Amino acid sequence: MSYDIQITRQSLNALFDLKGASAAIESWAGNALPNLPDQPNSRTEKEAVELYHIGRDHWIARAPVGQEEALEARLKPNDCPADVSIVRISDTLTFFRVTGSQAGEVMAIACPLDLHDSQFGDDTVTYTDLFGLKALVMRCKDGYELAIEQSFGDMVEDYLARATA
Amino acid sequence: MMLIPCPFCGKRNESEFIFGGPVVAARPDPNAVSDAEWVEYLTIAPNPLGPVQEKWWHARGCGEWLTIWRDTRTHDIVEAPNGSE
Ligand SMILES: [Zn+2]
Repeated sequence: MSYDIQITRQSLNALFDLKGASAAIESWAGNALPNLPDQPNSRTEKEAVELYHIGRDHWIARAPVGQEEALEARLKPNDCPADVSIVRISDTLTFFRVTGSQAGEVMAIACPLDLHDSQFGDDTVTYTDLFGLKALVMRCKDGYELAIEQSFGDMVEDYLARATA
Repeated sequence: MMLIPCPFCGKRNESEFIFGGPVVAARPDPNAVSDAEWVEYLTIAPNPLGPVQEKWWHARGCGEWLTIWRDTRTHDIVEAPNGSE
């Protein structure tokens, strides 16, 4: 059975891993970032920079790769105080988009999340199990976006192709 | 299949978690207990017929460690027995 979907592998994103209490991150990097999402596994956005709250005192900032240097200059990872950790991780994650009318059915094969609107909204972003791998999952226009450790990129592309063949 | 309650994420599928073993007694001072008690601490894991307290790691999720009580007869996640934490 084949599905009405498109699978798109993306090029690099600018990504920064941020750890620390929200107050500490806000006071160090607040004006470089959107407002910190206060709900677990949710996201906020400002001027093409997105911020994902993906664990206790743990966040990922994402921007177009062209903004990487400018964002790094504002986050100043090398100068941040001891109660904050900021690490550039742009080349550690590979992003895919799964879009089309049956994207939800394919995601239901790939991961165990309840993807109904009431449980998984437009601002939801969470790590989950995707084909047995740790993966970040969120909604995007017409479907879902997922990110996995970059060395699994070819494998996940193959998994998705086989799941939808 | 189990839905395991993560304190950060809420209820999530068992496949997102890695089992961390039963919650065991705190390590006693080896000089303050008998040999039999020390051997018991080292070698005996809780294995009751009924509620057992277990550690789980939300490894393919937010990374949180948590403990639950699971009834070994039904596989259900249950309330802590009276008098337990
Ligand atoms: Zn969690």
